Amino acid sequence: MIRLEAVTKTFERPVLRGVNLHVPEGSVYGLIGAGGAGKSVVVKMIAALVLPDGGEITVNGREILTMTETELAGHRRNIGMVFQNNALFDFMTIGENVAFPLRRLGRVGDSEIRERVAERLSRVGLAGFESRVPAGLSGGQKKRVGIARATITRAPLVLCDEPAAGLDPVTSQRIFDLLRDEQRKSASTVLMVSSDIDRLLTVTDRIGVLHDGRIVFEGTTEETRASEVPLVRQLLNGDNDGPL
Amino acid sequence: MSDLFTSLGSFFIGAAGTVGSMGVLFGRILSRLVRLDLDGNELLTNLYKMGVRSLPIVFVTAIFTGGIMVVQAAPTIERYGAHQLLGWGAGFGTLREVGPLLTALMISGRVGANNTAELGTMVVTEQFDALRALAIDPISFLIAPRFVGIVATLFLSTIFADVLALVGAAYAGLPLLGVEPRTFYDGLTSGLLGTGDVLHGLVKSVIFGVVMALASCEFGMTTEGGAPGVGRAVNATVVVTAAGIFVVDYLLSFAL
Repeated sequence: MIRLEAVTKTFERPVLRGVNLHVPEGSVYGLIGAGGAGKSVVVKMIAALVLPDGGEITVNGREILTMTETELAGHRRNIGMVFQNNALFDFMTIGENVAFPLRRLGRVGDSEIRERVAERLSRVGLAGFESRVPAGLSGGQKKRVGIARATITRAPLVLCDEPAAGLDPVTSQRIFDLLRDEQRKSASTVLMVSSDIDRLLTVTDRIGVLHDGRIVFEGTTEETRASEVPLVRQLLNGDNDGPL
Repeated sequence: MSDLFTSLGSFFIGAAGTVGSMGVLFGRILSRLVRLDLDGNELLTNLYKMGVRSLPIVFVTAIFTGGIMVVQAAPTIERYGAHQLLGWGAGFGTLREVGPLLTALMISGRVGANNTAELGTMVVTEQFDALRALAIDPISFLIAPRFVGIVATLFLSTIFADVLALVGAAYAGLPLLGVEPRTFYDGLTSGLLGTGDVLHGLVKSVIFGVVMALASCEFGMTTEGGAPGVGRAVNATVVVTAAGIFVVDYLLSFAL
């Protein structure tokens, strides 16, 4: 589904030094690592929001770096994305925010859009919030609106950048469970980046660890839990001592 | 001494980079406008927000500007007894220079700064990325409507301000110089002022609008560093727009 080969990126310093990553179709993949490791950059590269300096990024067998603008637009229509800062449009109501991806597709009528928005908001526990504005919502509510917006088009690929950042443990677990439920229903492929590793591991199929610009560990969730790799142990246990 | 040259060099390289970025942005906006590829709802929203809601501030500024023109001219008019020329003098200064210039500076403070703050906030909260992730071109959806909104607002506000400033001048002439509004009007339409004087100011207003729109959009779109970054972007917009307007005004005054 998603394949990154030798991807490099330098901003003020080298961030990615040759990332190789494979996310199987229909899986929930967790990408973890220390802060500033470049996890969000990887997610944005898959959506072609950030371009790599070198390497290849293939999604569904298509190399995205050689795509034209029109092809890129088509690629992005197949992606639902949850942003770290929610990225809800301030100038729209909650209903308009959630409906926006569907309206831009232009293939769905107004009544169906209303129904699907109501269904999505109900699904994330925010039934009746259509006419409210983002500024009036709590952090957890904004996250849930972001998930409703990311999943309304039933996109085959969902990218989540810190979907539970800044949330209390209970709300955080609910967000992860919600994303997992959505993935099971739609059989989509989900790539999640999160610093809340304990809860992330409750919903993932596979885990990749990004460190020093490379994927240094890759395995199933069970393999990750059982790993004796010092870096993985330190990330999982939050130890002071270790490679980080 | 070398520090001074280094600072000067950095300043000119930075300025050239900014002007170059604004030029590239202008090209990208024009390519959308040629294809009529801009969001209609956003355009209407911006025309209302930028244009209609600027009317009160333009009204106050213009009325008092007209009055100030008469106050400043009064001693000379009195000394030479040139009361018949008050309409021409006020009209010449207002239509060619003061109307477009002061309107641009007022609109810059209200609309340009606000535009940068909105766009900058959208950038730092990833709303720009969200648009792109939804396969939406931010230039067509956000920037082109704002560009047209700012240019149209400045053009129409300048017409509005010109008329109001002349009304203000006409009625300030009566108590200050004893010049009847009718006499002021006769001076204004005596033939010394022509369509060219009106167009001179209106062409300036369009170009001021282009400068303001490009600066406010460019600084908004390139905002970095969270809330402090938005503040810096707004500050840069106000400074660059004001400086740009004066430089362009100087050059246009020769060219037109």
